[in-house]
Amino acid sequence: MRNDVRTLRLERKLSQGALAEALGVSRQTINSIEADRYTPSLPLAIALARFFGRPVEEVFHADGNR
Amino acid sequence: MQMATDDQRPRRKRVPINWSLPIFSAFLGLVLLAAGWIGGNPLLGLAMLGIMLAFGAIFVVGHRSETIRMMAAGRGADERWRSIDLRATAFSGMVVLAAVIVAFLWEIAHGRSGNPWAPLGALGGVSYLAALLWFRWRG
Repeated sequence: MRNDVRTLRLERKLSQGALAEALGVSRQTINSIEADRYTPSLPLAIALARFFGRPVEEVFHADGNR
Repeated sequence: MQMATDDQRPRRKRVPINWSLPIFSAFLGLVLLAAGWIGGNPLLGLAMLGIMLAFGAIFVVGHRSETIRMMAAGRGADERWRSIDLRATAFSGMVVLAAVIVAFLWEIAHGRSGNPWAPLGALGGVSYLAALLWFRWRG
């Protein structure tokens, strides 16, 4: 699923490892989400959106549009 | 050029070793050694112990690797790794069942009873159906 996680993370000058640690997942998971290789569970998607202070539909794009 | 002092050097984060898998591997290796010994083939037992110790050592030596840590974490792994683990388990189950079916057919085709492959295949099929019903019920 296309998403803005990388953009939002870089805006906050966070490493993948730091974001992963904040959310309790592995760095590889953050990398896979950013690369659209892994679609996170609903709880993790919500946790990511809350972390960035955005609604989940602004972070993840189910229709493939950014 | 100024030398960096100990305080200036970036410190590598200490990663604790998860000993559960290495200890279990060593235990299983000892059980295999005992089985080989009892069966009159101590060299085979020693070889299997060596393999299990080497397997366990991977998790000690590579404990800094995120992949190794996730493999050792079991249920404590993150959701992506649990999903990978689930798919890998399903794949290996399919491979084993396919091998059992082929071996069963081979035995039947050679005029033999099909044992022990027939009960193993039945066990696989029954456990699969039981798991389907269980997870359907559990939602």
